[in-house]
Order: sequence, then structure tokens, then C-alpha cells
Amino acid sequence: METRICVLLLSLVALGCSGCAVFHRHAKQESEGQAADRSAQASQESDTNAQPPSVVEPQVERRTVKVPAIRPSNVELGAYYGEISIQDFGAQPVAGLRLDYHITEDFFAEATYGRAKAGPTSFETLSNIQLLSDAERRFTYYNLSLGYNLLPGEVFIGRNLAMTSSFYLIGGLGSVKFAGDQNFTVNFGAGFRVLPTNWLALHIDVQDLVFRSDVTGVEELKNNLQATIGATVFF
Amino acid sequence: MERSITTTRSTRRWPTRVAPLLVLVSLLAAPAAGAREYLQLFVVEPYLELHTGPGRGYPVTQVVGRGEAVDVLMRRTDWFRVRTERGVEGWAFERDLARTTLADGTPFHINLGDRAAFASHRWETGFFGGAYEGATLISAYQALSLTDNLKIEVSGSQFIGNLSNGYLLDIGFSHVFVPTWRLSPFVTLGGGYEWVEPKATLAQPLSANNQAGYVGLGARFYLTRRLFLRGEFRGYEIFTNQNSNEVKNEWKLGFAFFY
Repeated sequence: METRICVLLLSLVALGCSGCAVFHRHAKQESEGQAADRSAQASQESDTNAQPPSVVEPQVERRTVKVPAIRPSNVELGAYYGEISIQDFGAQPVAGLRLDYHITEDFFAEATYGRAKAGPTSFETLSNIQLLSDAERRFTYYNLSLGYNLLPGEVFIGRNLAMTSSFYLIGGLGSVKFAGDQNFTVNFGAGFRVLPTNWLALHIDVQDLVFRSDVTGVEELKNNLQATIGATVFF
Repeated sequence: MERSITTTRSTRRWPTRVAPLLVLVSLLAAPAAGAREYLQLFVVEPYLELHTGPGRGYPVTQVVGRGEAVDVLMRRTDWFRVRTERGVEGWAFERDLARTTLADGTPFHINLGDRAAFASHRWETGFFGGAYEGATLISAYQALSLTDNLKIEVSGSQFIGNLSNGYLLDIGFSHVFVPTWRLSPFVTLGGGYEWVEPKATLAQPLSANNQAGYVGLGARFYLTRRLFLRGEFRGYEIFTNQNSNEVKNEWKLGFAFFY
């Protein structure tokens, strides 16, 4: 009987010791688990804040593609020569420079500068009296005009040569210096342009330069018709 | 077709003209080295039409198929002279060429000169007729856009009156309030010089060179591609050597184009 009681007590002691150990191990496991959860949560949070890792690091620098500029060819520069009929002062040679800018395929702007020298009037010829000095006979003008390509087309020479062309209308404002005075001038006319090559143009132009003047004693509108041929180069 | 990396194709052009003036001009027009790189564009639409001349009425004699490339030789107004891989040359319209791509596949952008370009462009040139204190005025100007709203302008004018003639040379700023509007008002502010030459018929001709300042108000109206109307009124303050300054009024109306 005593032996049984001793065995029972020893068993209880042994159980108690092992039970504390189990409980302690369970508590340790629980605390480790909570720590792991916290660290996992922390790592998840840190993962959401960090940038995703790049799979491939590019080792080649991006090439900058150099695009060559397109050469514009809208400016026309050239000269012309012809005859101008200065009202009351006869027809005389005229020469000038012209600068055109092609705005669209329809419109172009033009600046011209021309010079001529007036001849004698019929009164001067008959009476042998000089109305104007040599310096006053200089007829210089400039015009700023707007042109419209009314009839663009092509001209053909033989079977194998086709050249682009255009019949255009033109009008503008300017100034004529004549007989020692500046005169506000309106110019209008028409012309024909033909391009043997893409960079060369040949012109035939007829224009009227109109201004009001009293050089012959009575103030009236003076019509000065000029017909010219010219050549220009496209830039 | 397999695309090359480069956007250009190098070709060699030799002057063929013999007249000295023409050779000189061609040298000015093209680099003296003779070799020139051209922009290479790829057709992504079913085809690209090539005309015989730089205009909408010229007939289409060639087409370039999708995937093929063209070299852009030059530009004239709205048209581009191009050369195909087979060596055929023709004129392509800008709206058609705007649907092509560069060699790296990016779209090719062109300034079409439309309303968007009217609102945002770099250069302007124009000329006017008008009146300057009773004298007839002829004027021209050149403007550079600093922003879409703000431009710096240089203008030169000649006035022709009954009593005197003269010239004006100005530089100033203009501010366009709403550049996107078809009819858009603007204000100007600047200064310059006035040269007055009294007519010889006057008893006491007095030539005068005076500094001047001006303020102005005007409007611009988009007409068609690259072309617009511009009207303007300016009040000039002429800083004379006399006891008081002179005030002169100027108005002018004319055409201008942008690019």
C-alpha cells in the first residue's frame, strides 16, 4: 500500500515537472509564432513600400536618333529686265530685283525694286525746254505685293521634257520716286512662271504702276505699264 | 521589309550646270561637300501618292507601297520632293506625309500651317497699307514668337504726305490675348525712330530725326493656311527737341503669313 502511494506521488511529481516543461515549450512556441507573424507583417509592409526588383538591368544606353532637317525651298531671288512706259515720258528700259516667298501652293509674297530713266516728253522734244533735270528723271520704285497662282500647270517641250508652270495674278503697294518726289503707288498685273528645274524659274510679267502726280502741271493718275522677263533661283 | 537603324540615306550630288552664276547658286543651295543626308520616312498607310508637281492638280503617276521608304529631298510650301528606293522622284502632299513614320517607328510630325499653327508658330512676316497722321503709309514687319502670346516685332514704314515724307523704324512687343481664337486681339508696345523729310516746296524745310515710343491695339484674323489679316492702330509719342512732344496716330491694315 505504501509502495502504491509512493508511486502515485512520484508520478504526480514527474507529471508536474513535465507539464511545466510542456507548458513552457508551448508558451515559447506561441511567443515565437507571434514574433514570426509580426516580422512577416513587417516584411510584407516593407515589401509594399519597396520598388519591385528589376528583372533585367539594361546595359545599353538609349540611342538618340538624329533626324536630318528637310531643306526648305520657298524663297525665290532674281532679277528682271524689260520696258516701262512712263506716262508722258516715253518707254524706257527698266531693270530690277525681286524677292518672293511662297506661302502656300496658292499664295506668294513678293518684294521688288526697280530702276528706269524717263525720256523727254513730246513737249520737251518740240520746245527744247527741259522740264526735269537728269537726277529727277530717275524713276526708282519698290513694291510689296501678294500673288495668287491662278492657273498652275505644266508646259511641254517635245516628248520628253515637262516643266511645272503657273499663271499668276499679283497686286500690292509701294512707292515711286520720280521728278524729285515720292509717290504712293498701287501695282497690279499678271505673270507667267515656268520652272525648267526645281531651283530655277523664268518669268514673264506685265504690271501697271499707278500713282497720282502733278509733274506735268495737272494732278492726275499716272499709269506706268511695264513688261519684263526675268530669272529667279529658289533657295 | 526590314528597317535599317539609320534614318538617313547618303547620296552624292554633283553640280551639272556649267554657267558660273548657276553653279554659284547651286553651291549656295546645297552644301559644298556634295554629300547630303536626307530624312528617310516609311509608309504605313496602304500607299503614298506621288504627284508630278507641287500642287493638288498635278497628276499622280507613282505610288509608294506600305513598308517602303522615301528620302525627303526638299520642301516647297505644302509639298515635299521625295525619292523612292527605286530612284523615282515625285511630290508628296504634307497631309499624306504626316501619316508616315521615322525609322524608329515614331510618327513624323509636320507643321501644317493650320489653325493650330496660327496659335503657335515661330515667325511672322507681313505688309500693310494705311495712314500716319494723314500721310499715306506703307509698312512691313517681322515678328519672332517668344511664347504663343508674346512676340517681339521689328517694323519699317514709309509715309508719303502732302507736306512731308519720312520713315519709321520700330522694335517692340506684341501680346496676343487668346492665340487660339480665329479673330484674336492684341496690344503692342515699343519704340523707335522717325525720320521726317519736308518737301522741297516748303519755305523752311526742316529735316528731323526723333526718337519715338508707341502703344497700339489691333486684331488678327486667320484667313487660310499660313495667311492672316492684321489690322492695327498705334499712338506715337514723338520725343522732339521742342518744348512739347508730338502725338501722332497711325492705322494700318494688311496681310501677314506665319511659318
